[in-house]
Amino acid sequence: MNTLWIVVIGVITIYVAYNFYAKRIDRDVIQADPKRATPARMYMDGVDFMPTSRNVLFGYHFKAIAAAGPIVGPITAANLWGWSPALAWLVLGVSFIGWVSDYSAIMVAVRNDGNSLSAIAHRLIAPRTRTILFVFIFFYLMLLAGAFIGILAAILSARPDVPFGIVVLALMGLLAGQMMYRWKLSIVGVTALVVTLTLVGMAAGPWGQHRDDKGALVNGPVAAVVASLNSSVDSINDHKALFTVVDPTAADPRIPAPGKDGKRVSTPAYDAETGLLKTLPNYLLWLVFLFGFSYMGANLPIWRFAQPVAYIGFWVMLITILLSAVGMVVAPLLDTKDAAGNLIGQFALPALKDMGFTVQEGKAWQPLWPMLFVTIACGAISGWHALVGSVGTARQLEYETDALPVGAGGMLGENTLALLSLTAVSIAGAGGGGGRFAQGVGKLVYAGSFGATPEIFGTALGFGTFVVIVLTVTQLVFRVMRVTLTEWVGDLIPPVRNMHVSSVISMGLTLALVLTGTWVYLWQMFGASNQLMAALSLIVVSVWLRSEKRSPAYAVVPMVFMYITTLAATIVTARNLYVTIAANPEMSGLPVAGAWAMIGVSVLLFIAALMIGWDGYKAYMRYGQTPAAPVPPSVATRQA
Amino acid sequence: MTDEEKEALAKRIWHNLSDTVYGMAAHDMSRAALRTRASMEHLFILITMGDLLGIPILPPYYSLRLLPYVVPQIATWKRRMLREKDVADAMFG
Repeated sequence: MNTLWIVVIGVITIYVAYNFYAKRIDRDVIQADPKRATPARMYMDGVDFMPTSRNVLFGYHFKAIAAAGPIVGPITAANLWGWSPALAWLVLGVSFIGWVSDYSAIMVAVRNDGNSLSAIAHRLIAPRTRTILFVFIFFYLMLLAGAFIGILAAILSARPDVPFGIVVLALMGLLAGQMMYRWKLSIVGVTALVVTLTLVGMAAGPWGQHRDDKGALVNGPVAAVVASLNSSVDSINDHKALFTVVDPTAADPRIPAPGKDGKRVSTPAYDAETGLLKTLPNYLLWLVFLFGFSYMGANLPIWRFAQPVAYIGFWVMLITILLSAVGMVVAPLLDTKDAAGNLIGQFALPALKDMGFTVQEGKAWQPLWPMLFVTIACGAISGWHALVGSVGTARQLEYETDALPVGAGGMLGENTLALLSLTAVSIAGAGGGGGRFAQGVGKLVYAGSFGATPEIFGTALGFGTFVVIVLTVTQLVFRVMRVTLTEWVGDLIPPVRNMHVSSVISMGLTLALVLTGTWVYLWQMFGASNQLMAALSLIVVSVWLRSEKRSPAYAVVPMVFMYITTLAATIVTARNLYVTIAANPEMSGLPVAGAWAMIGVSVLLFIAALMIGWDGYKAYMRYGQTPAAPVPPSVATRQA
Repeated sequence: MTDEEKEALAKRIWHNLSDTVYGMAAHDMSRAALRTRASMEHLFILITMGDLLGIPILPPYYSLRLLPYVVPQIATWKRRMLREKDVADAMFG
């Protein structure tokens, strides 16, 4: 297998799924009509409801949905089961389920006055569904933030060449906000300055890095300072672990890759003999750093920090994606080789590893079904997209017929990002998790720039892109979490209405989850809730289709599959948490408490999903007998 | 394909591409700026013209002076003020 085949598969998937399936559903089932007034045109307020060009909206939707999911998911899945199951799910999932979810969530909102999914569920399914969705969304966001913060802290702790670039990014974010909004400087000049400085900052981390005579990695000057800082912080506890955890899947970035003999070596954070992962004080330092970063993003005015950081992140991501995409095409054609003399275009990861169906007592269980379908939490289908699409994109559609290129096109575009991520992780022979991805990107960037960018800087760009994408979303998630928390319990506990209090509570709960230490479970639990969110949005879509007397099969079949799969994955993850941590006699203290907390969250999500599913089923059957009540004219329409 | 058609095609491709990049890079920034301005303007209109929505306000001497400047925005102001809001709206606030 080589990288060019992935490009060919991606192009064929997009072409076939879009032209032969999506267009047909748009024409025959939804019957999108360019003459029907969209909410953007009916309720135009110049802000939220605003008719927008479909090209602009495609870019906006793609950027909003393409977060860390399509990158982290394929990395973890390829590591667990090999690249072929991940590729199959990405291709089939996006063709039959992914675009359906995105496009339908947008269309159901467009046909319901631009209301959000929870408001539509309130009207079509049951009033309590909205409340349950609120609770579900809060815990879903908490898992999302925990999974993202957890992997970032592990990368910053394990790789001293990465943090400097992120510190520079934070400073450039503040500078860009000040220059654009306060000093009113030209956006072109500001962009050139801050993006260049951020890239220089990212390249400065690994600058001067080399291997000594024995082959050991020697840090450059910047990374050496960070390593020294880590060591100083660790000396607080005499370089001993605060507590230890196990990661049976070895997906945590702090676990080193196996050597040529297949064995892993011990590091300050990992004991190769026992397989225990040590939580050192420097890990907590980077957790605090990330929470501080996110706190600024969630509480400062959006123009001051969150937005400029996302803006800089976009350009870094775009440069990386373009260079990597070129690399994917040219590497096999030109037989480009890396520094070790290996062909860059060839896959190094096995196509298929153990499918994991055998249950071993006392050990983690990772069966291909259902776990693959939640581990790749984005790229094939995602609940996040339904949330973003129904609230943000649906209110800006100028014509109904734009929903297909924007919604389905955006999802298919995001799938290409997931394929790129899968390719990057599959061609890199060494490293774990995010490290393997960054090394793969380094090779692709080297090939894509025709050797002009050394692998070491390409890898830095890969790490930088990964961290930037994840951080951009995390700060937004905390912003949403604090508002959700305020809405949820603000009346009962008035102090929670204060944004700093609600932010600290949100971050405190997330921290408790992160400190369970086993990142892969957190990721899979997030993946399950994310895919479950997609299934719930498909329930709303199915009920709406039924109420409108349209054929619901194209949404019902994926909904049933995702609903059953994600509920099963929630049970498997809870079981893994119980067996490997909560009931493990070698574990004690914080990890055990955290594992029980995650089991509690999984039970809560499971019950919430069952209740929504039951309410949805009743509504579905009800609309089979009687037509839906007409959409009530909105208050705004009456008043206007 | 004639030269004119080629030129038109190239222009269209460039236009679509630049729109897409703008959408990815800066559309949310311009929306946020619009939202900030609208929030302040709408709050001001609420203070001065709240009686249009049934909210009692102080004697409307200044309201009458300001009315000509506010008239163009009254329709969108009413829509935005009276629209049912949702937690999901916070994602873009």
